[in-house]
Amino acid sequence: MSETHEALPEQRRWMGVVQQIGAPVISVIIAIGIGSVIMWVSGYDAGAAFAALFKGSFGSPKAFGDTLLRATPLIFTGLAVAYGFSAGLFNIGAEGQLFMGGLAAAYLGVQLAAQPWYAAVPVLLLGAMAAGAAWAFVPAVLKARIGAHEVITTMMFTYIGKYLVSWLVVGPLKAPGQIPQTVTIGTSAQLPRIQTLFSEATLEALPFLRFGRAHMGIVVAILFAVIMWAILKYTTLGYEARAVGFNPTAAETGGISVSSTIIKALCISGALAGLSGAVEVMGVHYKIFDQFSSGFGFTGIAVALVAKKNPLGVIPAALLFGALSAGSGLMQLEADVPQKIISIIQAVVIFLIAAESVIQWFIKRRQKEALSHAG
Amino acid sequence: MLGDILTPDLFASALRMATPLALAAIGGTLCERSGVVNIALEGIMLIGAFAAAAAGLATGSGWLGLLAAIAAGVAVSAIHAFSSINLKSDQVVSGTAINILALGVTGFLMELLYGHPGTTDPVPQMLRPVFHFPNGGEGVLGTVWTWINSIVFSHTPIVYLAIAVAVIAQWAMYRTRWGLRLRALGEHPRAADTVGINVSRGRWIAVMMSGALGGMAGANLVLEQVGSFTENMTNGRGFIALAANIFGRWTPVGSYLASLLFGFADALQIKLQLFRAEIDIPPQFFLMLPYVLTVVVLAGVIGRAVSPAAVGVPYEKG
Repeated sequence: MSETHEALPEQRRWMGVVQQIGAPVISVIIAIGIGSVIMWVSGYDAGAAFAALFKGSFGSPKAFGDTLLRATPLIFTGLAVAYGFSAGLFNIGAEGQLFMGGLAAAYLGVQLAAQPWYAAVPVLLLGAMAAGAAWAFVPAVLKARIGAHEVITTMMFTYIGKYLVSWLVVGPLKAPGQIPQTVTIGTSAQLPRIQTLFSEATLEALPFLRFGRAHMGIVVAILFAVIMWAILKYTTLGYEARAVGFNPTAAETGGISVSSTIIKALCISGALAGLSGAVEVMGVHYKIFDQFSSGFGFTGIAVALVAKKNPLGVIPAALLFGALSAGSGLMQLEADVPQKIISIIQAVVIFLIAAESVIQWFIKRRQKEALSHAG
Repeated sequence: MLGDILTPDLFASALRMATPLALAAIGGTLCERSGVVNIALEGIMLIGAFAAAAAGLATGSGWLGLLAAIAAGVAVSAIHAFSSINLKSDQVVSGTAINILALGVTGFLMELLYGHPGTTDPVPQMLRPVFHFPNGGEGVLGTVWTWINSIVFSHTPIVYLAIAVAVIAQWAMYRTRWGLRLRALGEHPRAADTVGINVSRGRWIAVMMSGALGGMAGANLVLEQVGSFTENMTNGRGFIALAANIFGRWTPVGSYLASLLFGFADALQIKLQLFRAEIDIPPQFFLMLPYVLTVVVLAGVIGRAVSPAAVGVPYEKG
């Protein structure tokens, strides 16, 4: 009797962990299952498709590098959406803030081409954060002051931002030549590829370090995930955001200014999304053009939900969606399955995580069974 | 130049541009009045548009295209209804999932059915204007008739259908038992439940009606405006429609009138692009206009518009 009493807290903690990680994992597995069924119904070879998907995302150091490459912007947009969620805000317009961040980085990267990297890189990152935050500022103020729903306003700002960039790259910021894009940023402002940090001899000895196109942005991204985790957990800023997200009325009663917390939270979210655009410009394209983001802002929503709003959870979640995106090219090539299946799988994951109650119920039932067996 | 811009054609075009927004906005009105937020309208419209194009291409009939769009809209909205009413999911998140799903499904089917991404072939039979009257000749009477003819009699079926939907929905919402019950669901579901109204059934019906209207909006885009389906062709119209619903203070006729404003902005920006040589403003700024207007309108109106009290809150039977 006394033995089970002592065992319970231990088991409870274990149950908590399972509930945190279990629901997203189950959701992803079910979604991949549904994706397979769709492929099968459509007459594709699902087995070959997933084999190619895996090969294209984890099959070789270069493939894994592609996964890291795609995961990098997703960590930032995932953090952006997750931070918004913590304060009860749905930043559906991360895509627009990403465009503004990319624009700032592309502009500053040309201006600061003569500067050494330790001056250029931080300024570009800060500039992108400022631009992303600025793009979230109007929706933030409208939300805080008069309650205009951020889903509509940030979405509208996404369209406005995309048209702004599409004008700048054919107009004032257009590089000489036929292609609508900006001038290439200075080498010192670029984020180097990971494999260039190692000598050829090291790469000979340790070939698994040949990460292909993956760049140092992933390190910056992981650093920011840790910083955001610490901010949410240990600072007043993060505490206030969580308090407002949990119960705005109680937070207001407790002396927290809800409206200024909302403005700060949405702007921080915008700044993180801006960084996502910056790493794409600084590590991948070295310039900005119309279609430079393949919807990272929207995929960030799925990343944040799978991470259950936890900044550290964003890292594996972004790796997952990065892998899906990296592998989808080879999947289309080898198994002929349209890449769009990835969006379908993404949507199913979001549905399942939104329907948390169902999965939680499922997990609790399993745990009850396990406990009753143990007892 | 003003005379070249403010032509009968501009106002007729405003009515056409307003139609998909109005249908989706009224869908949003019905849905939110029942207590369910419908961010999914964008995706519902996109899937409706695809269904209209696919059915139009397969059967050669515009009307079957419209029916398919309505059916597809209802089917997709059923997913939203199930997850927000039965599973009690966060409605905004569920709607977002539908929007991502719509992008994926339409793109996937596009490649599966037609073997390429991007744009479908043009549908063989679009929905044609209902009336065919000649414009007026010279003189005041002739001019007046030309204006009336273009603004009132130049339109395709769904444009008239949208006006009818606005009027009928307004009447139904304020003059029928069904409407009273619908409003009760969104204001005070517990009270509605207490007097014997089935909350989840009422909400299901409202969400599916919004799906039918969203599908119709997509059909209008393909069968009456563009003539083919292009990936992501809705371009944020579902979100603008939600803003129109708020601006119209959650009433069908209000939603329609607000959509007219956005439709006019859209018609105006298209018209102004014809005068690019004279105005010398980059076209991207015209394209921004509807989105900027949406933000301005929301900023101006929200403080005074009150949403249904229970919107977005899943109902827990006590």
